[in-house]
Amino acid sequence: MGRALLIGRLAIGELRRRGLESALVVLMLATATTMLALGLVLGGASKGSFALTRALTRGPDMVAEYVQTPDWSLKPATAFAPLVRAPAVIGASGPYPVAFVRLRARGMDVLAQTEGRDRAPAAIDQPLVTAGNWVRPGDAVIERSFADQLGLRVGDTIALNGRPFPVTGIAVTTGLDVNLWSSQDTVWLVRADTEGLATRQHPLGYVLDVRLADPSRAAAFLNSPAGNAFCHTCSGMVMLEPWQWIGDAAYRPIARNQGVLVVMSWFIAILATASIAVVVEGRMIGQTRRVGLLKAVGATPRMVAAVLLAENLLLALAAAALGLAAAHALAPLLTNPGDGLLGPPTAPSLSAASTVIVLAAAAAIALAATLVPTVRTARATTMRAITDAANVPSRAPALITFSAWLPFPLLFGLRLAGRRPRRTALTIASMTFAVAWVVTAITLQHQINFINRASALTPPDEYHPTNPLTQVITVVSVALVIAAAITTIFSTWTTVMDAQRPSALARAFGATPRQIAAGLTVSQVVSGLAAACLGIPAGLLLYATVGGRLGPAAPRAVSVLAVIPGTMIAVALLTAIPSLLGARRSIAGILRTD
Amino acid sequence: MIRELRGPVLWAGELCKEYGGGAGLVRAVDRASFAVSVGESVAIVGPSGYGKSTLLYLLGGLERPTAGTVRLAGRQLDGMTEGELARLRRRALGFVFQASHLVEELSAQENVELPVLLAGASSRRARQRARELLTQVGLADRAGHLPSALSGGESQRAAIARALVNEPAVVLADEPTGNLDTATGAEVLRLFGQLHAAGQTLVVVTHDERIAAMSDRVIFMRDGRFVDQSTLAGRAGPELGAISGLDL
Repeated sequence: MGRALLIGRLAIGELRRRGLESALVVLMLATATTMLALGLVLGGASKGSFALTRALTRGPDMVAEYVQTPDWSLKPATAFAPLVRAPAVIGASGPYPVAFVRLRARGMDVLAQTEGRDRAPAAIDQPLVTAGNWVRPGDAVIERSFADQLGLRVGDTIALNGRPFPVTGIAVTTGLDVNLWSSQDTVWLVRADTEGLATRQHPLGYVLDVRLADPSRAAAFLNSPAGNAFCHTCSGMVMLEPWQWIGDAAYRPIARNQGVLVVMSWFIAILATASIAVVVEGRMIGQTRRVGLLKAVGATPRMVAAVLLAENLLLALAAAALGLAAAHALAPLLTNPGDGLLGPPTAPSLSAASTVIVLAAAAAIALAATLVPTVRTARATTMRAITDAANVPSRAPALITFSAWLPFPLLFGLRLAGRRPRRTALTIASMTFAVAWVVTAITLQHQINFINRASALTPPDEYHPTNPLTQVITVVSVALVIAAAITTIFSTWTTVMDAQRPSALARAFGATPRQIAAGLTVSQVVSGLAAACLGIPAGLLLYATVGGRLGPAAPRAVSVLAVIPGTMIAVALLTAIPSLLGARRSIAGILRTD
Repeated sequence: MIRELRGPVLWAGELCKEYGGGAGLVRAVDRASFAVSVGESVAIVGPSGYGKSTLLYLLGGLERPTAGTVRLAGRQLDGMTEGELARLRRRALGFVFQASHLVEELSAQENVELPVLLAGASSRRARQRARELLTQVGLADRAGHLPSALSGGESQRAAIARALVNEPAVVLADEPTGNLDTATGAEVLRLFGQLHAAGQTLVVVTHDERIAAMSDRVIFMRDGRFVDQSTLAGRAGPELGAISGLDL
């Protein structure tokens, strides 16, 4: 009990003494645990909003859609007859005419579909008006998520194939599948107005909303004789979708986000391990003398290791708690299926198992990163530790010879990078992860813009469809950039601490503080350069590995190559302050300590 | 009293350095004034912890005085920026520390090259100067060795070569034999004797009576103050060698 108390007291005392470093370690670990917790939370996201909207709009159990072409048409009554006559079907609304149109509004020009409806409420799939009124001749009601993307409100005017329509209502429905011909980009008109918008090139299609005797068997209905007959009659120009598929489609982005987040949480965990190893190494440089003192007064190597591990475990627990809280706060943003459904986003709760996973992951990251330096420090001989003898740096003869030809800041920076190859490699690895992801994100965003541009006739800058994947990309990018930034700052500070004697000597022999600061910055910028050079192909490879296609959707080479100077500038800015602080430490104070 | 010398290369007036404040105030250097002429060798001696090293750091611009003035090679140090001080040190000063403070991952030759490269000379010139200096201190055959492979005396001789490589106006040495045994200390002493004989201006903080005996002047320090000084000028060479027990 006494020993545990002593270990706890020593660990807490050290954490207080190194408050800023401890806070940064917590931030790094919290970033990783947030990602992991978000991934786990999303797995438990419920489909409450879809169920609510389906109930309030009398959502169909099955949606059948049949599209005419310029060369082939069939009367709707004939096309849908096999469905209407099927024994499992107990009701139907429609068929409603559908026209594919060009919509112009607020300077934007996009493709949309209009659905012709009756003024009277339908028994099945009656869209719920959330603003304004239901359709009247000459007026338009817009699906809510579509209206939100275009920034349209009741009172605005839109042009459909050149014909002006005032927007008199905004509504939601579960009779639409977001994956069907972008069918969520829907405008409801009265039947006559819709029929008037059909063109020779784009003839009408028809939609039938079906009620089944047993809605739970909607998927099985697809392979029923009636389902097969409908598909056969219409020669493949049909869509038949059970309500479960429509519900899944509404939540598909969330499921995809969950997959991305879980994968990325492991990605960040590896990055965090590398980063924390750099951080801990820096902490150990400052702790060597303290360890020596502990051992001198009788602490065993095991106890010293216990104190050091206790410190890092306390930080890991704090980080896990922060990560769980952050995930709880962020989850509603990622579990929101959008404005197309009713009700607030369901805030999913974290299960006990998930909480344990997050805590264990944080502890594992902390242990993996701290074990080697902790054991090494704990095993150091007492006198060596008390005299704070630094580990002998590595010698890179070729680098030393090459750097002699360079201006002093470059000479100093390259030699500093070369004297600690393990730290340099960890820093490069950490930065490479971040750069690779940024390149992947740029490429992916470019592809999203490319697809949006293909579906919108106006320049993409004026049209911003909300894409949940973009939100996830943003969250992950921010997390990785934070992690890489912390690693860079710590790596710089560790280099500052480790290089304080060579720096002081160089200053004693005439190096200016500015030259030393520039050298310290160069030691990190070279890592940034290497990371950018490795990260670009790694990012493109990652993008291709997860199924992304380059070709015409690939970003321009110049935007990808801009990552190189961008990384170097970012690293230089991040390292400027620790470098300047390191370059201004007292020369006499450093040289006298030996 | 300060002996007035014509054209001192290093001059300190009423130099003070205090640490802490209130009841914990420590006056490491207390109104120290002296001047060092070109070619003169000055030893500062006194018990440990009485401000000798601090004085040396103040003279070299490595620390800022609380009060007083230092003039080096005609330039007044107070008021200079860190950058200006560094540039002045680059051409006017050479330091020898108690621990040799060689950069561990660099060979003796590369350590000596460092100040030359810092001064902006080419790599070729730095290599040539370092070879000359290492030959001068008797380490030509050890030039490629890392500090860990050098003996204490060899390391300190390499550090002296590094201090001299830019032909500084003044060499400041802080206990150059403090970490060495008697035999290896003698190697360093011999080197300092040669430097003195060659007209190198030296200011040496030391406990070593042999170094003090080789100097033109010995200043005794206690509690941060100069309490006495002796002038031994003109006794360099064989006579000084006899005092110090060395064959100079």
